[in-house]
Amino acid sequence: MSEFTSHIEFKNFNFFYGKYHALKDINLAIPHRKVTAFIGPSGCGKSTLLRTINRMYDLYPDQRAEGKLTLGGTNILESDIDVSMLRAKVGMVFQKPTPFPMSIYDNIAFGVRLHERLTKADMDDRVEWALRRAALWDEVKDKLGKSGMSLSGGQQQRLCIARGVAVKPEVLLLDEPTSALDPISTMRIEELVDELQKEFTIVIVTHNMQQAARISDFTAYMYLGELIEFGNTDQIFVKPSKKQTEDYITGRFG
Amino acid sequence: MKLRTRRKLTNGVALFLSMAAMAFGLFWLAWILFTVLSQGLGGISINTFTQLTPPPGEMNGGLRNALAGSALLVVISTLIGTPIGILVGIYLAEYGRNSWMANLTRYVNDLLLSAPSIVIGLFVWIALIYTHVAGYSGWAGIIALSLIMIPVVVRTTENMLMLVPGSLREAAYALGASRRVVIMQVLLRAAKSGVVTGILLAIARIAGETAPLLFTALSNQFWNSDLTKPIANLPVTINNFAMSPFVEWQKIAWAGVLIMTVSVLVLNIVARIFFKQEKIG
Repeated sequence: MSEFTSHIEFKNFNFFYGKYHALKDINLAIPHRKVTAFIGPSGCGKSTLLRTINRMYDLYPDQRAEGKLTLGGTNILESDIDVSMLRAKVGMVFQKPTPFPMSIYDNIAFGVRLHERLTKADMDDRVEWALRRAALWDEVKDKLGKSGMSLSGGQQQRLCIARGVAVKPEVLLLDEPTSALDPISTMRIEELVDELQKEFTIVIVTHNMQQAARISDFTAYMYLGELIEFGNTDQIFVKPSKKQTEDYITGRFG
Repeated sequence: MKLRTRRKLTNGVALFLSMAAMAFGLFWLAWILFTVLSQGLGGISINTFTQLTPPPGEMNGGLRNALAGSALLVVISTLIGTPIGILVGIYLAEYGRNSWMANLTRYVNDLLLSAPSIVIGLFVWIALIYTHVAGYSGWAGIIALSLIMIPVVVRTTENMLMLVPGSLREAAYALGASRRVVIMQVLLRAAKSGVVTGILLAIARIAGETAPLLFTALSNQFWNSDLTKPIANLPVTINNFAMSPFVEWQKIAWAGVLIMTVSVLVLNIVARIFFKQEKIG
Protein backbone atom coordinates (compact mmCIF):
# COMPACT_ATOMS: atom_id res chain seq x y z
CA MET A 1 0.00 0.00 0.00
CA SER A 2 1.37 3.41 -0.90
CA GLU A 3 2.19 5.89 1.84
CA PHE A 4 -0.31 8.52 2.88
CA THR A 5 -1.16 10.92 5.68
CA SER A 6 -4.39 9.91 7.28
CA HIS A 7 -7.12 12.48 7.87
CA ILE A 8 -9.84 10.42 9.47
CA GLU A 9 -9.19 7.42 11.68
CA PHE A 10 -11.54 4.83 13.11
CA LYS A 11 -10.13 2.88 16.05
CA ASN A 12 -12.02 -0.06 17.56
CA PHE A 13 -15.12 1.66 16.32
CA ASN A 14 -18.55 0.15 16.97
CA PHE A 15 -21.99 1.44 16.07
CA PHE A 16 -25.44 0.49 17.30
CA TYR A 17 -29.01 1.05 16.10
CA GLY A 18 -30.70 0.49 19.44
CA LYS A 19 -29.56 -3.03 20.33
CA TYR A 20 -28.55 -3.95 16.80
CA HIS A 21 -24.78 -4.03 16.42
CA ALA A 22 -24.38 -2.45 12.97
CA LEU A 23 -20.63 -1.82 12.76
CA LYS A 24 -18.18 -4.17 14.40
CA ASP A 25 -14.75 -3.16 15.53
CA ILE A 26 -13.80 -1.00 12.58
CA ASN A 27 -10.18 0.07 12.25
CA LEU A 28 -9.59 2.29 9.27
CA ALA A 29 -7.47 5.28 8.28
CA ILE A 30 -8.80 7.51 5.51
CA PRO A 31 -6.11 9.38 3.59
CA HIS A 32 -5.90 13.15 3.36
CA ARG A 33 -7.02 14.71 0.04
CA LYS A 34 -7.65 11.42 -1.67
CA VAL A 35 -10.83 9.73 -2.79
CA THR A 36 -11.82 6.79 -0.63
CA ALA A 37 -14.69 4.56 -1.71
CA PHE A 38 -16.80 2.36 0.59
CA ILE A 39 -18.21 -0.62 -1.28
CA GLY A 40 -20.16 -3.69 -0.25
CA PRO A 41 -23.60 -5.27 -0.58
CA SER A 42 -26.72 -3.49 0.68
CA GLY A 43 -26.97 -3.41 4.44
CA CYS A 44 -23.25 -3.95 4.97
CA GLY A 45 -22.95 -0.69 6.93
CA LYS A 46 -21.06 1.47 4.45
CA SER A 47 -23.57 4.34 4.63
CA THR A 48 -23.76 3.97 8.40
CA LEU A 49 -20.00 4.30 8.56
CA LEU A 50 -20.04 7.37 6.33
CA ARG A 51 -22.73 9.05 8.42
CA THR A 52 -20.69 8.79 11.59
CA ILE A 53 -18.01 11.12 10.22
CA ASN A 54 -20.32 14.16 10.54
CA ARG A 55 -22.25 12.66 13.48
CA MET A 56 -25.44 12.56 11.49
CA TYR A 57 -26.60 9.83 13.88
CA ASP A 58 -26.96 12.49 16.60
CA LEU A 59 -30.36 13.26 15.10
CA TYR A 60 -31.64 9.85 16.15
CA PRO A 61 -31.68 9.19 19.88
CA ASP A 62 -31.44 5.39 19.67
CA GLN A 63 -28.26 5.40 17.61
CA ARG A 64 -24.84 5.48 19.26
CA ALA A 65 -21.17 5.04 18.51
CA GLU A 66 -18.39 3.60 20.63
CA GLY A 67 -14.65 3.62 20.26
CA LYS A 68 -12.56 6.30 18.69
CA LEU A 69 -13.09 8.38 15.56
CA THR A 70 -10.58 11.14 14.94
CA LEU A 71 -10.62 13.96 12.43
CA GLY A 72 -7.21 15.56 12.10
CA GLY A 73 -6.29 14.06 15.48
CA THR A 74 -9.36 15.20 17.46
CA ASN A 75 -11.73 12.53 18.73
CA ILE A 76 -15.08 13.70 17.37
CA LEU A 77 -17.08 11.21 19.40
CA GLU A 78 -16.44 13.21 22.58
CA SER A 79 -19.63 14.71 23.93
CA ASP A 80 -18.11 18.20 24.23
CA ILE A 81 -17.48 18.42 20.46
CA ASP A 82 -19.37 21.29 18.82
CA VAL A 83 -21.35 19.33 16.24
CA SER A 84 -22.13 22.47 14.25
CA MET A 85 -18.40 23.22 13.91
CA LEU A 86 -17.71 19.60 13.01
CA ARG A 87 -20.31 19.74 10.24
CA ALA A 88 -18.77 22.94 8.91
CA LYS A 89 -15.58 20.90 8.46
CA VAL A 90 -17.32 17.83 7.07
CA GLY A 91 -19.76 18.46 4.22
CA MET A 92 -22.22 15.88 2.96
CA VAL A 93 -24.08 15.15 -0.27
CA PHE A 94 -26.97 12.70 -0.24
CA GLN A 95 -28.30 10.05 -2.57
CA LYS A 96 -31.21 12.12 -3.78
CA PRO A 97 -30.60 15.78 -4.57
CA THR A 98 -31.86 17.90 -1.66
CA PRO A 99 -32.09 21.51 -2.84
CA PHE A 100 -33.70 23.76 -0.22
CA PRO A 101 -36.94 25.51 -1.17
CA MET A 102 -35.18 28.81 -1.89
CA SER A 103 -33.24 30.49 -4.68
CA ILE A 104 -30.08 29.00 -6.17
CA TYR A 105 -28.10 31.83 -4.57
CA ASP A 106 -29.65 31.29 -1.13
CA ASN A 107 -29.11 27.55 -1.37
CA ILE A 108 -25.37 28.23 -1.48
CA ALA A 109 -25.41 31.16 0.96
CA PHE A 110 -27.48 29.26 3.54
CA GLY A 111 -24.60 27.16 4.84
CA VAL A 112 -22.07 29.99 4.63
CA ARG A 113 -24.28 32.31 6.71
CA LEU A 114 -24.38 29.73 9.50
CA HIS A 115 -20.65 29.98 10.05
CA GLU A 116 -19.39 33.28 8.65
CA ARG A 117 -20.49 36.88 8.38
CA LEU A 118 -19.72 38.08 4.88
CA THR A 119 -20.47 41.35 3.13
CA LYS A 120 -22.79 41.18 0.15
CA ALA A 121 -19.86 41.41 -2.26
CA ASP A 122 -17.89 38.70 -0.47
CA MET A 123 -20.94 36.46 -0.41
CA ASP A 124 -21.44 37.00 -4.14
CA ASP A 125 -17.84 35.94 -4.68
CA ARG A 126 -18.22 32.92 -2.47
CA VAL A 127 -21.38 31.79 -4.27
CA GLU A 128 -19.66 32.12 -7.64
CA TRP A 129 -16.57 30.33 -6.34
CA ALA A 130 -18.62 27.43 -5.02
CA LEU A 131 -20.73 27.14 -8.17
CA ARG A 132 -17.58 27.16 -10.31
CA ARG A 133 -16.08 24.41 -8.14
CA ALA A 134 -19.20 22.35 -8.78
CA ALA A 135 -19.06 23.08 -12.54
CA LEU A 136 -22.50 24.66 -12.39
CA TRP A 137 -21.72 28.37 -12.71
CA ASP A 138 -22.08 28.67 -16.47
CA GLU A 139 -25.48 27.01 -16.39
CA VAL A 140 -26.99 29.10 -13.59
CA LYS A 141 -25.16 32.43 -13.55
CA ASP A 142 -28.11 34.19 -15.23
CA LYS A 143 -30.75 32.73 -12.95
CA LEU A 144 -29.32 32.80 -9.45
CA GLY A 145 -32.65 34.16 -8.15
CA LYS A 146 -34.61 31.20 -9.45
CA SER A 147 -35.69 28.36 -7.19
CA GLY A 148 -33.14 25.60 -6.70
CA MET A 149 -35.96 23.12 -7.27
CA SER A 150 -36.33 24.32 -10.87
CA LEU A 151 -33.02 22.74 -11.90
CA SER A 152 -32.66 19.27 -13.43
CA GLY A 153 -31.72 16.33 -11.20
CA GLY A 154 -28.06 16.41 -12.20
CA GLN A 155 -27.89 20.17 -11.74
CA GLN A 156 -29.59 19.88 -8.35
CA GLN A 157 -26.98 17.38 -7.24
CA ARG A 158 -24.17 19.69 -8.36
CA LEU A 159 -25.95 22.50 -6.51
CA CYS A 160 -25.82 20.35 -3.38
CA ILE A 161 -22.12 19.74 -3.94
CA ALA A 162 -21.61 23.50 -4.37
CA ARG A 163 -23.57 24.09 -1.17
CA GLY A 164 -21.29 21.71 0.69
CA VAL A 165 -18.14 23.14 -0.85
CA ALA A 166 -19.18 26.76 -0.13
CA VAL A 167 -18.69 26.26 3.61
CA LYS A 168 -15.03 25.37 2.81
CA PRO A 169 -14.96 22.03 4.60
CA GLU A 170 -11.96 19.72 4.88
CA VAL A 171 -13.91 16.59 4.07
CA LEU A 172 -16.74 15.87 1.63
CA LEU A 173 -18.94 12.84 2.28
CA LEU A 174 -20.82 11.56 -0.76
CA ASP A 175 -23.55 9.02 -0.04
CA GLU A 176 -24.31 7.31 -3.37
CA PRO A 177 -24.38 10.72 -5.05
CA THR A 178 -25.10 9.45 -8.56
CA SER A 179 -27.52 6.60 -7.97
CA ALA A 180 -30.51 8.80 -8.83
CA LEU A 181 -28.88 10.40 -11.89
CA ASP A 182 -28.62 9.61 -15.59
CA PRO A 183 -25.28 8.49 -17.12
CA ILE A 184 -24.29 11.93 -18.40
CA SER A 185 -24.96 13.64 -15.08
CA THR A 186 -23.12 10.79 -13.39
CA MET A 187 -20.11 11.36 -15.61
CA ARG A 188 -20.07 15.06 -14.78
CA ILE A 189 -20.17 14.35 -11.04
CA GLU A 190 -17.35 11.83 -11.39
CA GLU A 191 -15.22 14.38 -13.23
CA LEU A 192 -16.06 16.83 -10.49
CA VAL A 193 -14.95 14.45 -7.75
CA ASP A 194 -11.64 14.08 -9.56
CA GLU A 195 -11.28 17.86 -9.57
CA LEU A 196 -12.36 18.35 -5.95
CA GLN A 197 -9.92 15.86 -4.43
CA LYS A 198 -7.17 18.41 -4.92
CA GLU A 199 -8.74 20.47 -2.13
CA PHE A 200 -10.85 18.08 -0.09
CA THR A 201 -10.66 14.64 1.43
CA ILE A 202 -13.46 12.77 -0.27
CA VAL A 203 -15.27 9.71 1.03
CA ILE A 204 -17.82 8.17 -1.30
CA VAL A 205 -20.30 5.34 -0.77
CA THR A 206 -21.22 3.64 -4.01
CA HIS A 207 -23.08 0.60 -5.25
CA ASN A 208 -21.43 0.92 -8.59
CA MET A 209 -18.19 -1.02 -8.68
CA GLN A 210 -17.00 0.56 -11.93
CA GLN A 211 -17.52 3.94 -10.36
CA ALA A 212 -15.41 3.01 -7.36
CA ALA A 213 -12.71 1.70 -9.68
CA ARG A 214 -12.81 4.82 -11.86
CA ILE A 215 -12.76 7.57 -9.29
CA SER A 216 -11.27 6.33 -6.05
CA ASP A 217 -7.68 6.07 -4.90
CA PHE A 218 -8.52 3.79 -2.00
CA THR A 219 -11.31 1.31 -1.48
CA ALA A 220 -12.79 -0.23 1.64
CA TYR A 221 -14.83 -3.40 1.19
CA MET A 222 -17.41 -4.03 3.88
CA TYR A 223 -19.62 -6.98 4.64
CA LEU A 224 -22.18 -7.48 7.44
CA GLY A 225 -20.89 -4.54 9.45
CA GLU A 226 -17.26 -5.53 9.23
CA LEU A 227 -14.44 -4.00 7.30
CA ILE A 228 -13.14 -6.93 5.24
CA GLU A 229 -10.41 -5.26 3.26
CA PHE A 230 -8.95 -1.83 2.70
CA GLY A 231 -6.25 -0.80 0.27
CA ASN A 232 -5.28 0.91 -2.95
CA THR A 233 -8.16 0.74 -5.39
CA ASP A 234 -5.91 -0.77 -8.06
CA GLN A 235 -4.81 -3.51 -5.73
CA ILE A 236 -8.34 -4.23 -4.44
CA PHE A 237 -9.76 -4.52 -7.92
CA VAL A 238 -6.89 -6.36 -9.58
CA LYS A 239 -5.49 -8.53 -6.84
CA PRO A 240 -7.64 -8.52 -3.68
CA SER A 241 -6.05 -10.35 -0.79
CA LYS A 242 -9.29 -11.84 0.48
CA LYS A 243 -11.44 -14.34 -1.39
CA GLN A 244 -14.62 -12.60 -0.14
CA THR A 245 -13.61 -9.31 -1.73
CA GLU A 246 -12.79 -11.01 -4.99
CA ASP A 247 -16.18 -12.74 -5.07
CA TYR A 248 -17.94 -9.45 -4.57
CA ILE A 249 -16.08 -7.37 -7.12
CA THR A 250 -16.23 -10.05 -9.77
CA GLY A 251 -19.99 -10.19 -9.26
CA ARG A 252 -20.13 -13.76 -8.02
CA PHE A 253 -22.07 -12.56 -5.01
CA GLY A 254 -23.70 -9.40 -3.73
CA MET B 1 -65.29 -16.28 -21.26
CA LYS B 2 -67.63 -16.76 -18.34
CA LEU B 3 -65.13 -15.14 -16.01
CA ARG B 4 -64.80 -12.20 -18.35
CA THR B 5 -68.56 -11.65 -18.46
CA ARG B 6 -68.77 -11.80 -14.71
CA ARG B 7 -65.99 -9.27 -14.33
CA LYS B 8 -67.62 -6.94 -16.80
CA LEU B 9 -70.90 -7.24 -14.93
CA THR B 10 -69.26 -6.58 -11.54
CA ASN B 11 -67.48 -3.60 -12.99
CA GLY B 12 -70.73 -2.28 -14.46
CA VAL B 13 -72.58 -2.60 -11.17
CA ALA B 14 -69.77 -0.96 -9.19
CA LEU B 15 -69.56 1.90 -11.67
CA PHE B 16 -73.32 2.40 -11.59
CA LEU B 17 -73.43 2.44 -7.79
CA SER B 18 -70.61 4.95 -7.47
CA MET B 19 -72.12 7.18 -10.17
CA ALA B 20 -75.48 7.01 -8.38
CA ALA B 21 -73.84 7.96 -5.07
CA MET B 22 -72.12 10.89 -6.77
CA ALA B 23 -75.38 12.04 -8.38
CA PHE B 24 -77.16 11.79 -5.04
CA GLY B 25 -74.57 13.98 -3.35
CA LEU B 26 -74.35 16.49 -6.16
CA PHE B 27 -78.14 16.79 -6.42
CA TRP B 28 -78.55 18.11 -2.87
CA LEU B 29 -75.50 20.30 -3.13
CA ALA B 30 -76.76 21.88 -6.35
CA TRP B 31 -80.20 22.36 -4.82
CA ILE B 32 -78.75 24.08 -1.75
CA LEU B 33 -76.55 26.34 -3.87
CA PHE B 34 -79.46 27.16 -6.16
CA THR B 35 -81.72 28.09 -3.23
CA VAL B 36 -78.99 30.20 -1.60
CA LEU B 37 -78.32 31.96 -4.90
CA SER B 38 -81.93 32.67 -5.86
CA GLN B 39 -83.10 33.66 -2.38
CA GLY B 40 -79.90 35.54 -1.57
CA LEU B 41 -79.81 37.56 -4.77
CA GLY B 42 -83.41 38.63 -4.03
CA GLY B 43 -82.38 39.99 -0.63
CA ILE B 44 -79.02 41.51 -1.42
CA SER B 45 -78.61 45.19 -2.30
CA ILE B 46 -76.30 48.08 -1.57
CA ASN B 47 -78.16 48.49 1.72
CA THR B 48 -76.89 45.13 2.84
CA PHE B 49 -73.43 46.62 3.13
CA THR B 50 -74.27 50.15 4.25
CA GLN B 51 -77.18 49.77 6.70
CA LEU B 52 -77.28 48.39 10.21
CA THR B 53 -79.47 45.44 11.10
CA PRO B 54 -83.00 46.90 11.27
CA PRO B 55 -85.54 46.66 14.06
CA PRO B 56 -88.59 44.54 13.16
CA GLY B 57 -90.94 46.16 10.67
CA GLU B 58 -88.33 48.49 9.22
CA MET B 59 -87.94 48.19 5.45
CA ASN B 60 -84.40 49.42 4.81
CA GLY B 61 -81.88 47.47 6.72
CA GLY B 62 -78.61 45.76 6.08
CA LEU B 63 -75.84 43.75 7.66
CA ARG B 64 -73.10 46.35 8.02
CA ASN B 65 -72.58 45.77 11.75
CA ALA B 66 -72.80 41.98 11.40
CA LEU B 67 -70.31 41.89 8.52
CA ALA B 68 -67.84 44.15 10.33
CA GLY B 69 -68.28 42.21 13.58
CA SER B 70 -67.69 38.89 11.87
CA ALA B 71 -64.62 40.23 10.11
CA LEU B 72 -63.24 41.53 13.41
CA LEU B 73 -63.88 38.25 15.24
CA VAL B 74 -62.41 36.11 12.47
CA VAL B 75 -59.32 38.29 11.98
CA ILE B 76 -58.42 38.40 15.68
CA SER B 77 -59.17 34.70 16.17
CA THR B 78 -56.86 33.96 13.23
CA LEU B 79 -54.14 36.16 14.70
CA ILE B 80 -54.40 34.22 17.97
CA GLY B 81 -55.05 30.75 16.58
CA THR B 82 -52.46 30.65 13.79
CA PRO B 83 -49.24 31.20 15.76
CA ILE B 84 -50.33 28.91 18.60
CA GLY B 85 -51.41 26.24 16.12
CA ILE B 86 -48.19 26.45 14.11
CA LEU B 87 -46.01 26.32 17.22
CA VAL B 88 -47.83 23.27 18.58
CA GLY B 89 -47.56 21.64 15.14
CA ILE B 90 -43.82 22.31 15.12
CA TYR B 91 -43.52 20.84 18.60
CA LEU B 92 -45.32 17.65 17.58
CA ALA B 93 -43.44 17.13 14.32
CA GLU B 94 -39.94 18.26 15.26
CA TYR B 95 -39.50 18.13 19.03
CA GLY B 96 -42.02 15.86 20.74
CA ARG B 97 -42.32 13.24 17.99
CA ASN B 98 -43.20 10.04 19.82
CA SER B 99 -42.68 11.15 23.40
CA TRP B 100 -45.60 10.61 25.77
CA MET B 101 -46.08 14.37 26.00
CA ALA B 102 -46.42 14.65 22.23
CA ASN B 103 -48.74 11.66 22.02
CA LEU B 104 -50.93 13.12 24.76
CA THR B 105 -51.00 16.51 23.00
CA ARG B 106 -51.86 14.80 19.72
CA TYR B 107 -54.67 12.85 21.39
CA VAL B 108 -56.17 15.92 23.06
CA ASN B 109 -55.82 17.86 19.83
CA ASP B 110 -57.70 15.16 17.92
CA LEU B 111 -60.44 15.28 20.54
CA LEU B 112 -60.71 19.05 20.15
CA LEU B 113 -60.68 18.67 16.38
CA SER B 114 -63.71 16.41 16.42
CA ALA B 115 -65.54 18.16 19.27
CA PRO B 116 -68.83 19.67 18.11
CA SER B 117 -68.47 23.44 18.00
CA ILE B 118 -71.44 23.86 20.33
CA VAL B 119 -69.43 22.08 23.04
CA ILE B 120 -66.65 24.62 22.59
CA GLY B 121 -69.20 27.42 22.88
CA LEU B 122 -70.67 25.91 26.03
CA PHE B 123 -67.21 25.45 27.49
CA VAL B 124 -66.33 29.11 27.03
CA TRP B 125 -69.73 30.06 28.41
CA ILE B 126 -69.22 27.98 31.55
CA ALA B 127 -65.56 28.93 31.99
CA LEU B 128 -65.95 32.67 31.47
CA ILE B 129 -69.49 33.90 31.40
CA TYR B 130 -71.28 31.69 33.93
CA THR B 131 -68.43 32.28 36.39
CA HIS B 132 -68.62 36.04 35.74
CA VAL B 133 -65.00 36.21 34.66
CA ALA B 134 -66.30 37.98 31.58
CA GLY B 135 -69.65 38.88 30.12
CA TYR B 136 -71.12 38.06 26.75
CA SER B 137 -68.55 39.77 24.61
CA GLY B 138 -66.48 39.82 21.44
CA TRP B 139 -63.52 38.47 23.37
CA ALA B 140 -65.48 35.45 24.58
CA GLY B 141 -66.42 34.79 20.96
CA ILE B 142 -62.83 35.17 19.87
CA ILE B 143 -61.68 32.64 22.46
CA ALA B 144 -64.28 30.14 21.26
CA LEU B 145 -63.35 30.63 17.60
CA SER B 146 -59.62 30.39 18.37
CA LEU B 147 -60.24 27.12 20.21
CA ILE B 148 -61.90 25.76 17.09
CA MET B 149 -59.17 27.03 14.82
CA ILE B 150 -56.10 25.87 16.78
CA PRO B 151 -56.56 22.09 16.39
CA VAL B 152 -57.07 22.46 12.63
CA VAL B 153 -53.84 24.44 12.27
CA VAL B 154 -51.97 22.06 14.60
CA ARG B 155 -53.03 19.07 12.54
CA THR B 156 -52.16 20.53 9.14
CA THR B 157 -48.86 22.00 10.33
CA GLU B 158 -47.78 18.67 11.80
CA ASN B 159 -48.89 16.73 8.73
CA MET B 160 -47.18 19.10 6.33
CA LEU B 161 -43.93 19.05 8.32
CA MET B 162 -44.03 15.25 8.39
CA LEU B 163 -44.37 15.27 4.59
CA VAL B 164 -41.07 17.14 4.23
CA PRO B 165 -38.59 14.44 3.20
CA GLY B 166 -36.20 13.34 5.94
CA SER B 167 -33.31 13.86 3.53
CA LEU B 168 -34.03 17.61 3.38
CA ARG B 169 -33.92 17.74 7.17
CA GLU B 170 -30.63 15.85 7.24
CA ALA B 171 -29.16 18.00 4.47
CA ALA B 172 -29.84 21.14 6.51
CA TYR B 173 -28.39 19.64 9.69
CA ALA B 174 -25.39 18.38 7.70
CA LEU B 175 -24.40 21.98 7.00
CA GLY B 176 -24.17 22.60 10.72
CA ALA B 177 -27.51 24.36 11.15
CA SER B 178 -29.19 24.43 14.55
CA ARG B 179 -32.62 22.94 15.02
CA ARG B 180 -34.22 26.39 15.11
CA VAL B 181 -32.64 27.39 11.80
CA VAL B 182 -33.54 24.08 10.17
CA ILE B 183 -37.17 24.44 11.24
CA MET B 184 -37.63 28.14 10.54
CA GLN B 185 -35.63 28.49 7.34
CA VAL B 186 -35.91 25.13 5.64
CA LEU B 187 -38.75 22.96 6.92
CA LEU B 188 -41.43 25.65 7.35
CA ARG B 189 -40.50 27.02 3.95
CA ALA B 190 -40.82 23.58 2.38
CA ALA B 191 -44.18 23.07 4.10
CA LYS B 192 -45.40 26.63 3.52
CA SER B 193 -48.08 26.01 0.92
CA GLY B 194 -49.64 23.23 2.95
CA VAL B 195 -49.59 25.21 6.18
CA VAL B 196 -51.12 28.30 4.54
CA THR B 197 -53.79 26.14 2.91
CA GLY B 198 -54.61 24.71 6.33
CA ILE B 199 -54.93 28.19 7.79
CA LEU B 200 -57.21 29.34 4.97
CA LEU B 201 -59.44 26.29 5.43
CA ALA B 202 -59.51 26.91 9.19
CA ILE B 203 -60.60 30.51 8.54
CA ALA B 204 -63.31 29.25 6.22
CA ARG B 205 -64.47 26.96 8.98
CA ILE B 206 -64.68 29.54 11.80
CA ALA B 207 -66.24 32.13 9.50
CA GLY B 208 -69.42 30.10 9.40
CA GLU B 209 -69.58 28.84 12.98
CA THR B 210 -72.80 29.83 14.75
CA ALA B 211 -73.04 27.67 17.85
CA PRO B 212 -69.91 28.91 19.66
CA LEU B 213 -70.94 32.54 19.12
CA LEU B 214 -74.52 32.01 20.36
CA PHE B 215 -73.15 31.42 23.86
CA THR B 216 -70.38 33.98 23.79
CA ALA B 217 -70.43 36.97 21.46
CA LEU B 218 -74.21 36.90 21.37
CA SER B 219 -75.28 39.55 18.90
CA ASN B 220 -75.90 43.25 18.74
CA GLN B 221 -78.50 45.29 16.88
CA PHE B 222 -76.18 48.27 16.83
CA TRP B 223 -72.74 49.24 15.62
CA ASN B 224 -70.14 48.15 18.12
CA SER B 225 -66.40 47.72 17.91
CA ASP B 226 -65.87 47.27 21.65
CA LEU B 227 -64.81 43.66 22.12
CA THR B 228 -65.78 43.66 25.80
CA LYS B 229 -69.44 44.01 24.80
CA PRO B 230 -71.70 41.68 22.80
CA ILE B 231 -70.93 42.14 19.14
CA ALA B 232 -72.95 41.59 15.98
CA ASN B 233 -71.79 38.83 13.68
CA LEU B 234 -73.04 37.17 10.55
CA PRO B 235 -73.84 33.62 11.68
CA VAL B 236 -75.87 34.58 14.78
CA THR B 237 -77.66 37.37 12.91
CA ILE B 238 -78.61 34.92 10.17
CA ASN B 239 -79.80 32.49 12.82
CA ASN B 240 -81.93 35.12 14.57
CA PHE B 241 -83.32 36.70 11.42
CA ALA B 242 -84.08 33.45 9.63
CA MET B 243 -86.06 32.18 12.63
CA SER B 244 -88.07 35.42 12.87
CA PRO B 245 -91.57 35.85 11.48
CA PHE B 246 -90.65 39.12 9.69
CA VAL B 247 -90.25 38.91 5.92
CA GLU B 248 -87.66 41.73 5.80
CA TRP B 249 -85.51 39.97 8.36
CA GLN B 250 -85.75 36.68 6.45
CA LYS B 251 -84.67 38.46 3.28
CA ILE B 252 -81.64 39.91 5.03
CA ALA B 253 -80.81 36.49 6.45
CA TRP B 254 -80.78 35.06 2.92
CA ALA B 255 -78.48 37.85 1.78
CA GLY B 256 -76.19 37.00 4.71
CA VAL B 257 -76.20 33.33 3.76
CA LEU B 258 -75.22 34.23 0.21
CA ILE B 259 -72.37 36.48 1.36
CA MET B 260 -71.09 33.81 3.70
CA THR B 261 -71.30 31.04 1.11
CA VAL B 262 -69.48 33.12 -1.47
CA SER B 263 -66.76 34.15 1.01
CA VAL B 264 -66.13 30.55 2.06
CA LEU B 265 -66.12 29.48 -1.59
CA VAL B 266 -63.59 32.19 -2.46
CA LEU B 267 -61.40 31.18 0.50
CA ASN B 268 -61.46 27.56 -0.63
CA ILE B 269 -60.59 28.50 -4.20
CA VAL B 270 -57.74 30.75 -3.05
CA ALA B 271 -56.46 27.90 -0.87
CA ARG B 272 -56.50 25.53 -3.83
CA ILE B 273 -54.79 27.95 -6.17
CA PHE B 274 -52.17 28.71 -3.55
CA PHE B 275 -51.48 25.03 -2.94
CA LYS B 276 -51.18 24.28 -6.65
CA GLN B 277 -48.95 27.21 -7.54
CA GLU B 278 -46.49 26.48 -4.77
CA LYS B 279 -46.26 22.86 -5.84
CA ILE B 280 -45.20 23.91 -9.34
CA GLY B 281 -42.93 26.79 -8.34
